[in-house]
Amino acid sequence: MKSHRIIAVIVRHAYEARRNADRITDMVYWPVLDILMWGFFTTYLGRGVGMRPDVINVLLGATILWGMFYSFQRDMAVGFLDELWSRNLLNLFSTPLTINEYVTGLICINLAKTMVGVGAASLLAWSAYHFNIFPWIPALVPYLLNLVLFAFALGILTTGLIFRYTTRVQGLAWSFAGLLAPVSCVLYPLKSLPGWLRAIAWMLPTTHSFEGMRQAMVGGGFSPYHFWWGIGLNAIYFALAIGIFKLVFEAARTRGLLVKLE
Amino acid sequence: MLVQVENLIKRFGDFTAVDGVSFGIKRGEIMGMLGPNGAGKTTTLQMILGLITPTAGEIRIFGKSMATHREEILDRMNFTSPYVAFPYRMTVQENLTVFARMYGVREPQRRIDEMLERFDIARLRDKPIARLSSGENTRVGLAKAMLNDPDLLLLDEPTAYLDPDIAYQVKEALLEARSDRGMTILYTSHNMSEVERLCDRIVFLNHGRVIAIGSPIEITQAILNEEREAPALEEVFLRVAREARE
Repeated sequence: MKSHRIIAVIVRHAYEARRNADRITDMVYWPVLDILMWGFFTTYLGRGVGMRPDVINVLLGATILWGMFYSFQRDMAVGFLDELWSRNLLNLFSTPLTINEYVTGLICINLAKTMVGVGAASLLAWSAYHFNIFPWIPALVPYLLNLVLFAFALGILTTGLIFRYTTRVQGLAWSFAGLLAPVSCVLYPLKSLPGWLRAIAWMLPTTHSFEGMRQAMVGGGFSPYHFWWGIGLNAIYFALAIGIFKLVFEAARTRGLLVKLE
Repeated sequence: MLVQVENLIKRFGDFTAVDGVSFGIKRGEIMGMLGPNGAGKTTTLQMILGLITPTAGEIRIFGKSMATHREEILDRMNFTSPYVAFPYRMTVQENLTVFARMYGVREPQRRIDEMLERFDIARLRDKPIARLSSGENTRVGLAKAMLNDPDLLLLDEPTAYLDPDIAYQVKEALLEARSDRGMTILYTSHNMSEVERLCDRIVFLNHGRVIAIGSPIEITQAILNEEREAPALEEVFLRVAREARE
């Protein structure tokens, strides 16, 4: 992999983010709006209903982390859609750019964009609701890592599906992560799901991340169990996503889809 | 030969788009690729660019196989077509910066300035692509195609949207690149007088097959099957296109 080509992909999407109001909205507006709404709700739960502060912290923390996961998965796919919408694919893939460099560039720029959104949401939660996520970060790092890895895998898979089925399935960019939200146990524990759904939830790294996060934030310490389950599942999903993406890309070249996608 | 295409075949299901095409291009040569719509020109060009995988056959460029040395080969090549676009919200400068980085161009800003001057679009530097005319867009594409000073340049109807004055400037720039640097160019166009003036040799395709290769006068004589004093590619093209329809 050549770093100058990875940087070119990063620079291309940094320019797009600067020029495209939709990207700025995605990056900052939604995470901030989410935290604003959840902030008022948890304030009500704390003052009006008398909910324990640690449970309120867990709700706000989960909202921030889900926002991060969702943004990352969406931005990977939208980054690719930007090439399709601007009919730039032929220009891009007639350069020496490899698919690994392209995906690495997308991951880097989306990591930066997600951090801006999460940073803005966290600062708002801190200043408006006195919820400071930053001291929790060291305890949450293992679960953040699993969330980010799963978001990579889903983002790559969604991009692969768009490669194969073109803009007909572009809605997946915004909806795929949402599909997993009910079974990822973001705001409630795994045991609150019906038995048959728990088995599905167990297969998702997001469930292990949010279960582990809750344990850490209510003082139960680090859960190696949830961390390693998350890592193991991520290894499988990541390998599958990369494998499927490469197969789809090669198939697109064989079938001439790369030049017809536009 | 700088480019060697050997028995290239591309099938899409039951349809054979390219059927055993072979030709070579010498270093510093301007090779035209002609043929009616559906002759297989674009598919052949896209296989040379590595955008489509051939069903069979081999493409060797700079003595290396495209199948195994894609990155290395594309690093020394470039391509443009008025039918592909750039991200339309980004300015001309931003787009060229991205591609200069993509090719690892040394002193990218100096090179971008040179290209903007050469194609007379320096005044458009800070304009978003969306606000350019078709002709201006084509010139941005040409500036991008010359950014890395390629050894091999693939041009798909590069003068399609240009007025005669700008088209003339572009042709002069291509001839200059060939004479100064020995740049090799593969060129498709539907403007026959332009091809006659610019191309050293022509590969003529029809129904996915090569029907003639040679200089403009050789192609004229071979396809019209009579002695001629001067090339008459327009006549050749019309004859082939009518026969293809019949």
